[in-house]
Amino acid sequence: MPATSSRIQVLPDLVINKIAAGEVVERPAAVVKELVENAIDAGARRIEVESVGGGARRIAVTDDGAGMTRDEALLALERHATSKIRDVADLDDIHTLGFRGEALAAIASVSRFTLTTRRAEDDGGTRVRLAGGKILSVEACGAPPGTAMEVQGLFFNVPARRKFLRAESTETAHIRRITESFALAYPGVGFRLRLDGREVMRFPPGATREERIRELFDPAWVEALRPVEGEEGPVKVEGFITLPTVQRADRNDIYTFVNGRPAQAALLHYAIAAAGEGMWPRQRHPAGVLHVTCPGTQVDVNVHPTKREVRFRDPTRVRDLVIRSLRRALEGEVPAPAVAASPGPPSTQPPPPPLPAYQEMLTPRRPDPTHGASAPEPSADASGPGLPDVGVPWQVLRVLGQIEGGYAVLETEDGLVLLDPQAAHERVLYERFLERGDARPPVQRLLTPHTVDLDAVEAARVRAHLDLLQEMGIGVSAFGGDSFLIDALPAPLSGASPEALLHEVALELEQTGAAKGAPHRIRAAVARAAATASSDRSRRLGEAELQAVLEALVRARMPYTCPHGRPTVIQISRRELDRKFGRG
Amino acid sequence: MKLRVSKERLLDALQRVQPVIPGKSSLPILSNVLLRAEEGQLWLTTTDLALTVRTRIECEIEEEGAITVSVKRIASIVRELPSGDLSLTVDEAQEVEIRSGGSFVKLYGVSEDEFPPLPEFDGAQAFTVPQAAFLGMLQRVHYAASTDDSRMVLNGVLLSFGEEKLTLVATDGRRLALDEVELEFPEDAGTELVVPTKTVSELLLCLGEEGDVIVRVGESQVAFEFDHMLVISKRAEGNFPNFRQVIPGQSEERVEIERELLFASLRRVSMLQQDLRNDAVRLQFRPDRLVISSSVHEVGQAEETLPIKYAGKELVISFNPGFLMDPLKVLKEDVVVLELTDDLSPGVLKSEGPFVYVIMPMRVS
Repeated sequence: MPATSSRIQVLPDLVINKIAAGEVVERPAAVVKELVENAIDAGARRIEVESVGGGARRIAVTDDGAGMTRDEALLALERHATSKIRDVADLDDIHTLGFRGEALAAIASVSRFTLTTRRAEDDGGTRVRLAGGKILSVEACGAPPGTAMEVQGLFFNVPARRKFLRAESTETAHIRRITESFALAYPGVGFRLRLDGREVMRFPPGATREERIRELFDPAWVEALRPVEGEEGPVKVEGFITLPTVQRADRNDIYTFVNGRPAQAALLHYAIAAAGEGMWPRQRHPAGVLHVTCPGTQVDVNVHPTKREVRFRDPTRVRDLVIRSLRRALEGEVPAPAVAASPGPPSTQPPPPPLPAYQEMLTPRRPDPTHGASAPEPSADASGPGLPDVGVPWQVLRVLGQIEGGYAVLETEDGLVLLDPQAAHERVLYERFLERGDARPPVQRLLTPHTVDLDAVEAARVRAHLDLLQEMGIGVSAFGGDSFLIDALPAPLSGASPEALLHEVALELEQTGAAKGAPHRIRAAVARAAATASSDRSRRLGEAELQAVLEALVRARMPYTCPHGRPTVIQISRRELDRKFGRG
Repeated sequence: MKLRVSKERLLDALQRVQPVIPGKSSLPILSNVLLRAEEGQLWLTTTDLALTVRTRIECEIEEEGAITVSVKRIASIVRELPSGDLSLTVDEAQEVEIRSGGSFVKLYGVSEDEFPPLPEFDGAQAFTVPQAAFLGMLQRVHYAASTDDSRMVLNGVLLSFGEEKLTLVATDGRRLALDEVELEFPEDAGTELVVPTKTVSELLLCLGEEGDVIVRVGESQVAFEFDHMLVISKRAEGNFPNFRQVIPGQSEERVEIERELLFASLRRVSMLQQDLRNDAVRLQFRPDRLVISSSVHEVGQAEETLPIKYAGKELVISFNPGFLMDPLKVLKEDVVVLELTDDLSPGVLKSEGPFVYVIMPMRVS
């Protein structure tokens, strides 16, 4: 082995920067992220993002923030040069988005980089040009106050890296998504995004969070949004989440923020899934925006070079708070808080109508001139919507009949509602099983005890939860081997086959992951199994039964889906009918 | 085919065979009735393949023949025709012409060849039962049958011939109704079978108060012959639970209650309940009075006090009110007897005669 290869030496800065670039700059969107963070930390009120060729050809981020002097600009391009922290103690309490001080140097080392900046109080600005991390020129120039950074030919000097870039459209989508995240996180800041010369996003500064969501989200989602609010000690959760009427195939429409930072935390996604248990089908997700705020000491953002992932010091507490807040929002136990109240700059436009509370969903939202309905002006009370006194929006429902398959057709003031009575029945039963005390169905004893034989795996699962099953009204006891004896059942289930029920329970326990599931999840699994076993899809409901199911559904906490997340109702508004029939 | 028949008689016969046609079927021919005119009789047949019903009426035949036609359509037409005789003619093109006075209707029929053949009956044993007794027993037990699709053998009424008796039983696992009649038949001829619910409904509709019904029992089928009717049905498969072990031998307390009073009180108390099939009412037996109450979460409470002759121990027991009311609706006696032991043991309701109704209590949290 040649002697030279074993000598250890300190790497030159340029090489270090390139290595850092490999971590920080995984893709063009990461450049956008770093630059926008800098802009926000610099107190920008307007930020413009531009990308050409999926960001590989050109990325430019321009802000109207504080700007830098010539010396500051040069220092900023040094590795680990930062204005944001001073010593190790600061790392435990970080208030700015950036802090590592390596981003600019890293980006500059793998691109042709131009930084133009001027402080408002200075007469002239500074322009620094670099290529592959080497300064080409530093010159005085005229410039508007703020900072403009331009990255051209990303990875021009790292061909290996360049090859790993995805299709232009993919990279563009990432850039768009990261810009949207910042726009949601910083409604006070104006954002403009230009992709390949075309302006695709323009959000004025001084907006509220709600206004931002409104601008960004599909109108159908906006209608389904419910405010989320929760607080425990220093930890706060806020945001909006869609009801299960919105079902997305992936989590891309859930925007999560920790202390204002767009952040992915496995914990938050877990909490959303747990809160939605029994509302969304498996592999379906809501859309929404969640902000978690907590003292800087409670959260560690220095986990990942791109700060994309965060860790909480007390994960259980945060997770439970998020689950609780989401459940409250989805189940509508809290009155809708005033969501439009955040003090923004005075606006000459009337405030937009408040986000709909979920009880409102089945009532006509806008007065229909042809109908002569006299809904109050939505903007009449700008301080917030409060809870409209809809109590029973379903009062306006009229059962028109039942069609093949047992679906019921209902008429409302605003159009049609199709109801799956069995799904509705399952939802009603499911919630009754989860009740405690009074509301839980009585237990019906059986004439003769039934022996049910399970296979070994099923039996183990059922055996592990015998106490819970009994508490929920299923009179099951071990009968030796893998056999069980059932001598009583919750009344709504008592007509069904005990065999089918126990198999269904075992199946649900398996899918819930019985071994490590929390008690409430197991309870939910049993209730789901019970509801499924007791509803008989082939049976057509009589008119009285249908009415009873409807009345119970109105009182349900989550009337829109069955316990497995399938919809109970499909709404077709008059507007939609008119549109489809071409009545304009 | 050409005949004259009384409108009333034809309508009556159509209404008896119409319930058999399946609600929805992939075989359109099953919604038709087979009309066959021969030897002075018009035979009407409908089938859903599991259940076949046949009836005959007197008529004047000019020309024999057969045709099938939608039973729903022809029944609604005949219903609207003026009373008296009508004439029915079928031509070569399978067109059915109905004339009555100045009315004329033409229906397009389907050839008899398309209609499923009458099932071959494998009947071996035959029992003769008075119609009135059979109808009465069916009325007193049928409502207790299960409606849950997963338990086919409970979706019907058990007919048990044995010990010189015919015993009828229906149960859904939570309550059981039993009635019996003494019957003469050869000692070794005992047998048991379950008649499916749909067939029971048809029997309840068509059985009369006079004459006998002949029950023929085959391997997989059962047939009932009475008046001008023939009902052939598949038997429900599976093992019916041992009903005798369900009936408690001796209860500790016995109380007589006026049937109509009990029924009316139960109805009022359960008014608040949204789900008659799943909620519970509480019965408190105290010296000389019975307090029936119910409390429905987030709705309210109701209570009824009934004077009774009762000197037993104080007893509180909960039942499904619907289950308790079902037999009270069909019994005719003024007084019923309730036999109870404690809040966990089955309750037994009896009247005069061999009728027994066992009902399991509920536990309310």
